[in-house]
Amino acid sequence: MAKTYQYCVATNWGKGFIDHVESSRITFASFPGNVWQVPAYNKHGNLWVAKVAGVVKTKDEAQAIVDAEVQAAQATWDALPDAEKAPAVEMNTRPTDITLEE
Amino acid sequence: MAEYKSIHGTKVQDYTTDPDNPITGQVWYNETANTLRVQAQTTAGAWATGGSLNTPRAYAGGCGATKDASLCFGDGPPPAPTASGITESYNGTSWTEVNDMNTGKAFVTGAGTYTSAIAAGGDQFSGVAESWNGTSWTSITNEPNGSNAYGSAGADNTNALFFGGVPAPTRTVTRYWNGSSWTDLNAMNGGKKDLEGAGKTYTAALAIGGSAGPPTPLTLTESFNGTSWTEVGDLNTGRRFAAANGTQTSALIYAGSTPPSITNKTEEWNGTSWTETTNYPLSVTGNTGAGADNTNALGFGGSPPETNATLEWTGAGAPQVRTITTD
Repeated sequence: MAKTYQYCVATNWGKGFIDHVESSRITFASFPGNVWQVPAYNKHGNLWVAKVAGVVKTKDEAQAIVDAEVQAAQATWDALPDAEKAPAVEMNTRPTDITLEE
Repeated sequence: MAEYKSIHGTKVQDYTTDPDNPITGQVWYNETANTLRVQAQTTAGAWATGGSLNTPRAYAGGCGATKDASLCFGDGPPPAPTASGITESYNGTSWTEVNDMNTGKAFVTGAGTYTSAIAAGGDQFSGVAESWNGTSWTSITNEPNGSNAYGSAGADNTNALFFGGVPAPTRTVTRYWNGSSWTDLNAMNGGKKDLEGAGKTYTAALAIGGSAGPPTPLTLTESFNGTSWTEVGDLNTGRRFAAANGTQTSALIYAGSTPPSITNKTEEWNGTSWTETTNYPLSVTGNTGAGADNTNALGFGGSPPETNATLEWTGAGAPQVRTITTD
């Protein structure tokens, strides 16, 4: 099956990391662990990955990075004392698992 | 075909760098990049990364008249007592730390500008309110319903509206702050928490999305005229803990939680209906918004994990240099 997305790891440095032209041309998604998803087989996506010196990852490699980050966040949340956690339980803000798409 | 000169009045000029203030439609040759360029306008709004927050955070409070003059305060989770009172101010380029809130709060809500604002609520400090004068926070009378996770709107620290929230009995309540006291106004039509608000005065506000209790997100939008709430056009994608900004007639909502997942969809409000536009580049919930309207917005923070990312939104029609290509 042809890939829909490609993944890379890159650190957002602020101004200029994504510009208006790039966000109007390609659809970005970000995930824990500085994992970025952009369209596969796309000139503008490839140019952006090169611009930000993104380290290209397979979907499985990216998923492993995301899983590790989410599990760490869940463990931190679960370890909160109940007295601190109680208000946030109503907000239902415990980090949830994330599944990347091919 | 008419020549460029006869249409535009000048020849295509060579520049070593792009001209400082080109007019729309102007074409030039960039000798350094070896490209032909044109001063165009965007046909749709778009996001770009801005200067990053000094402190990564989510579920923070925020406000601001424009994307170049915004305020971010509070944090969470984790909630109190770990919650932060850190406040930062954005000038269009970078965030600067300013004086902290007196009480660290998670899930705090704000209204106003970066020189005159109100912060109210926050997990274990429900209803606790503070006023910002551009330099420091001052504790004020607690919001009497003792709520948090509100939606909000307002002009400054003498004109602010907070609506919905938790606990459950307060989900339809509307509270007005006039600079010295709180007054309950007519209730919303439906109970909401974790919702967003827009509006630059308490007499013209929007309550957007949220949830009625369970995490299932709402698409409902209600409009307030200073006296009563009216249901208006629904969001295309229901969401909670999103970010929003703008006015009763020109607003933007972006990202947020759509349990069990997160959406990065952006929607524009034109006073009548919501329309999907360019996606928010971050997949986050608990992000915060500020800005003038649906052409001028700032999104910052969010999780998971807590991020310091800032996104600037410029609406359609903004000046944009584009390279002319033949492929």
